[in-house]
Amino acid sequence: MTDKGIRRAGVGLALVGVILVIVVHWLSFFWVATEVNQGVVQRIFYIHVPAAWVGFIAFGVAALCSAMYLWLRDDRLDHAAVAAAEAGMVFMTVVLLTGPLWGKVAWGTYWTWDPRLTFTLLLWFIFLGYFMVRSSSENPERGKRFAAVVAIIGALDIPLIHLSVVWFRSLHPTPVVAKPEGPTLPAGMLITLMLGLLGFTLMFFGLFLLRYALESARNRVVLRERRSQS
Amino acid sequence: MSVYVRQVIAILTKDLRLELRTRERLAAMGAFAILAGVLFNFSIDTTVVRPQDVAAGLVWMTIVFGGLLGVGRTFALEAQDGAIQGILMSPAPKDAVFLGKMLANFVLLYAISLLVLGVFALFFSVDLGANLGALLFTLGLGSLGFVALATLFSAVTEGTHMGDTLLPILVFPLLVPMVIFGAGATGRLLAGRPVVEVAGNLRMLGAFALMAVAAGAGLFRYVVEE
Repeated sequence: MTDKGIRRAGVGLALVGVILVIVVHWLSFFWVATEVNQGVVQRIFYIHVPAAWVGFIAFGVAALCSAMYLWLRDDRLDHAAVAAAEAGMVFMTVVLLTGPLWGKVAWGTYWTWDPRLTFTLLLWFIFLGYFMVRSSSENPERGKRFAAVVAIIGALDIPLIHLSVVWFRSLHPTPVVAKPEGPTLPAGMLITLMLGLLGFTLMFFGLFLLRYALESARNRVVLRERRSQS
Repeated sequence: MSVYVRQVIAILTKDLRLELRTRERLAAMGAFAILAGVLFNFSIDTTVVRPQDVAAGLVWMTIVFGGLLGVGRTFALEAQDGAIQGILMSPAPKDAVFLGKMLANFVLLYAISLLVLGVFALFFSVDLGANLGALLFTLGLGSLGFVALATLFSAVTEGTHMGDTLLPILVFPLLVPMVIFGAGATGRLLAGRPVVEVAGNLRMLGAFALMAVAAGAGLFRYVVEE
């Protein structure tokens, strides 16, 4: 696909995604039934869960593309990794902001060292390091490799982090951590959640394509500058 | 002895000899460890918490901070006069270079962690006698995992203009397993619990160290290639 095609597809997907996300906001405020046990606060889940889902996909794509980049050395893989990582950062920030808002009401605390919370926070910081390494490298080619190494080590360490926090918690029980995952959701809730997942996923792929096109355009500028200098 | 092992040992002895002659990093890390112990001592109110209760956590934090201080300079000297190019151009494979440098850092950090343990035993009147062997083993496993990650990332930060400032941001998120299992085991051992009770912690600490060493050796060549 040409760059123009990628940009067009990106704009299209992002637009559909944004519209769906707006619809989901409307549905979750005015249409879907209020959850019996948690009340109104549960409605934040139609945003929180899709954002988390997309965030994890994004970081997964970033780590995978990073590993492939080190192997194949195709710049397109590096562009894809940055694009996914940056979109992932945005969605993970949404997760980390909406989670505590819900937690304060449902658990009585903004933060608890639940494995999932810890893991998300650390993942956010690992990718913060990813961007800092990239932007502060004196040589951009090296920066790409450094960032890829950070992403891979992060992906390798994540299972251990998860395991260790589960362990830690099992040694020091925290106050009741209830998760609202009933295996069966009422139809209305299920529809809202599914639309949320779809909307966020489309928005992610739209942003991903746009960011990818931007990164490859930026790369071309750098190459041309270098050529005109020499 | 195979060529590979000889290459690793050559790098290791070179780094250790350099350290023994300058004693720069050892002195800085040692002084840091003792001074951190002094500050920690004044930072806790002994009428509220017993020093023994917080000693394990403080020991590990001191090792981590002191370790970054020293390990962060792994490539600094060689980068200054370009000697690193020579090492990388030598026929030794990149992972042998990594393992040599990592082992040199390990010797350094392990010496410091013994000092930290001694200092804390002295300042916080913690009794080491009961489980000394297991404690030394725990510190060894933890230090090994730590230096593997820190050596790899100090090669990364050496190529950025932020330098050592970036190192904790890259390393700290990855250290959660090490701190949980290491401090967990140390706390119990300091409290005189039997070694069997921390066997699981030690196994996980070992798994963390093994993974860190393997990942470091595997990825180092991508960091230093030109």
